[in-house]
Amino acid sequence: MSKPVLHPTLGRVAALVVSLWLGVFLVIPVLTMVGGFVQPSDFSRVLARSSTWRLVWFSLWQSALSVAVTLVVAAPVTWLIGLHRFRGRRLLRAVSTVGFLLPSVVVATAFLAVLPRSLHYTMFAVVIAHVYFNVAVVVRVVGARLELLDVQLMNAARILGASPTVVWRTIVWPLIRGATAAAAAVIFLYCFSSFAVIRVLGGPRRSTLESDIALRAFGIGDIPAATVLALVQLVIVVGVIGVVCRLSGREHGLSRLATLPLTTVMHRQRFFAIGVAGATATFVLLPIAALLWRSVQVGDASSLAAWRTIFDTSLTASIRASARTALLAGVLGVALAVLTTLAVVRLGTIGRLIDMLSIVVLAVSPVTLGLGLVLTFDVGWFDWRARWWFVAVAHTLVAFPLAVRVLVPAWRTTPIGLHQAAAVLGAGELRRLVDIDLRRMRPAIVASLGLIVAVSLGEFGAASLMSRADGETMPIVIARLLSRTGDLVRAQAFVLASLLAVVCIAALVLVEFALGKSDHVARR
Amino acid sequence: MLHVAELVVAHGERCVLNGVSLVVQPGERVAVHGPSGCGKTTLLHAIAGLVHIDAGSIRLGRQDITHTRPHRRGVGLVFQDDQLFAHLNVADNVSYALRVHGAAKRERLIVAEEWLSRVGLSDFQHRHTASLSGGEAKRVALARTLAGGPNIVLLDEPLSGLDDELHDQLLGDLRGLFEQLGTTVVHVTHDRAEGAALCHRSIEFATLSDKVASRQT
Repeated sequence: MSKPVLHPTLGRVAALVVSLWLGVFLVIPVLTMVGGFVQPSDFSRVLARSSTWRLVWFSLWQSALSVAVTLVVAAPVTWLIGLHRFRGRRLLRAVSTVGFLLPSVVVATAFLAVLPRSLHYTMFAVVIAHVYFNVAVVVRVVGARLELLDVQLMNAARILGASPTVVWRTIVWPLIRGATAAAAAVIFLYCFSSFAVIRVLGGPRRSTLESDIALRAFGIGDIPAATVLALVQLVIVVGVIGVVCRLSGREHGLSRLATLPLTTVMHRQRFFAIGVAGATATFVLLPIAALLWRSVQVGDASSLAAWRTIFDTSLTASIRASARTALLAGVLGVALAVLTTLAVVRLGTIGRLIDMLSIVVLAVSPVTLGLGLVLTFDVGWFDWRARWWFVAVAHTLVAFPLAVRVLVPAWRTTPIGLHQAAAVLGAGELRRLVDIDLRRMRPAIVASLGLIVAVSLGEFGAASLMSRADGETMPIVIARLLSRTGDLVRAQAFVLASLLAVVCIAALVLVEFALGKSDHVARR
Repeated sequence: MLHVAELVVAHGERCVLNGVSLVVQPGERVAVHGPSGCGKTTLLHAIAGLVHIDAGSIRLGRQDITHTRPHRRGVGLVFQDDQLFAHLNVADNVSYALRVHGAAKRERLIVAEEWLSRVGLSDFQHRHTASLSGGEAKRVALARTLAGGPNIVLLDEPLSGLDDELHDQLLGDLRGLFEQLGTTVVHVTHDRAEGAALCHRSIEFATLSDKVASRQT
C-alpha cells in the first residue's frame, strides 16, 4: 500500500522531542516539588490557616472585579474594530494590543508614573493596570468573533422587526457569548496569578496566591507552604481552563460565515466612533508617555541624569542579561513551538494530546515553574541554578504556548494539493516540510519569535526566583529600584521601563507586520 | 403602494443609485432586471432601510419611510444567501419576527408550523439550519419573511444557485403562494425568464456611464 502524502514520521519525532522537553523541564520539576518537599501534614497546616483562605478570596475577587471592569472598558473599542471598516482600523487594533505585550512590571511602573500619589498602592491602581493589559484580550478574542459575524445577518433581524437592542440580545450575543466567556476566563487567569502588578502597585498589605508563593519560598524559606499554595492555585487555574474549553466548544457554525464584509461606520455613529478610538488611544498611550516623561525628571527638575546612568555597570548588565535571555528563549521557544505545531497538525490523537499539553503548560504559573526548576536542578552536573541560560529555559515554557496558537492556524492553511504536487515531483517528507510548510510559515514564525522575545523581556515571576545578582534581567532590576528611595533611583527605574516598553512595542510592530504577511500567504 | 422617487445612494465617491424612481401597486409583483453591479441589490436595501439614502424619498402606503429605521418599516427581504440564524432551529427562525414582537412561545410555534406547512416543510420545526439543503433553506427564509406579515416582500435573487429542476419547482411554489396571499413583491433578478414567470411586469435597470436610471418596459 502506498504511503499517504502527509506521513506521520516527522510528527512523531516532533512529538517525542516536545514530550521530552516538557517532561524534563515541567513535569519532573512539578513532581519534585510535590513529592520531595511536601508532607501530608503540610496540607492540613497550610489549609487550616485563615490567612490562606484570605489569600484565595483576595485573588478571586480582585480577578473577578478586573474581568468585569475590563469587559466594560473594552466593549466600545471591540464593537468598533469587530464590526466596522474604517481608515486606521488596523492601527487602532495594534494600539489597543500594546498593553498586552508590555511587561507587567513596565505597566505597573507606568501607572506609578501616571497616577497621582494618592492613588498609588490602592485597589484602583491594581484594577486599572489589569484592565490595561487585558483590553487587548477582549479586542482580539471577541473582536475576532465579531469579525466573523455577517452584517447581513443582523440586517435580516432588523427587517424582521428587531430593534438594535433586540438584535444584540437575540442574534449577536448568542454568537459571541462563548468568545466573551473565553476572554473573561483568560483575563481571570492573568489577574488571578498577577505578581508584578500586585508587588509594585498593591502595596505591602495586598498579596495574591502567586506573590505569596514567591514570598514564602524565598522570603521566609517555607518551601512546603509555597508548594501547597502552588497546588491550590493550580487546581483553581485548571478548573477555569476546563470551563474555557467547554465554552469554546459551544460556538454556533460561525466558521462558514468567515471573510464576509464589515460595515462602514454610519454617519450618525461617526462621532461616537472617533470618541471611542481617541479614548482608547489615550488610555493606552498616556501611561507610556508618562513613563518617558518621568524618566527625564529627577525630583522636581528635568534632567537626563538617569538616562546617562544606563551606561553604569549594573544597569548595562541587566540590559545585557535581558537581551541574551530573550534571544535564547526566542530561538528555543520557536523551535519548540514549530515542533509542537508539527505534531499537532500531523498526528491524530497524539497531536490532540500534545495540543492539550501546550495549553496545560499555561496553567503552571511562572513563579511555580521557577520554584520547581530551582528545587529540581540543584545537584552536581544538574546544578543549573546559577546559569544565565536556565532563565531562558523557563521563559521558553512560559511563552511557547502562545507561539503555538499563532503557528497552528497558519500551518493549517497549507493546501494538501501543494504536498501532493511536490510528492509526485519526487520531494520527500523532509524536503516538503522545508520547501512548503516552513517556507509558507516564515511570517508566522517571525511573529512567534517576536512574541516569545517580548514575553521573555518582560517576564517577572520565574525570573524573580531564578535570576542571580550578577545576571538580573531588566524587570527584576526595575522592581528592585522602585523599592528603594531616592529620586535618581526612581528615575532609573522609569528609564529601564521606558527602554523595555520601546523594545516590546517594536516587537509588537514586528508581530503585526508578520501576521499581516501570514494572512496574505494563507489567502494564496 | 410603494413609491420610490428620485432615489440617490452613494458609497463614498461612487454614486450607486442616481435618481431611481419606481412605483409598485398593492398586490403587484414587479421584476427588476439588470447586470451584476448595476445597483439592484442596493435599491432593495434602500427600500428596506439598510443603506444611507442621500436624496429622494420612499413611501409605503401613505407613510413616508425614507428615514424610518429598518425594524419599523414593515418591509420583508429574502436575502440572496438566505441569512438564516445558525444558532436557532428552523421553527425559531421562522417565528423570529413574532418573538421580537413579544409573542408567546406557543403562539410562535403554531405560526411556525403553519408557515412551514405552506412552504412544504411540515416536519422541519426542530431541524438545525446547517442540516438544510439549498432548496429547503430558501423555503425557510421565505417562510420567515412571510410569517412577519410584511406590507411588501423584496426578493434578492432568491433562486440563484439552485439546479434547474429545483429552481422551476420553487418558482412555481413562490408564484402560487404570492397569488394566494396577494403579496406585493419587488423581485430582483438577472434572469428575465424567471422575472416573467413570477411577476406581472418587469423593469429594466439600465446603466449609463456613472448614472443608473430605471426605465419601465
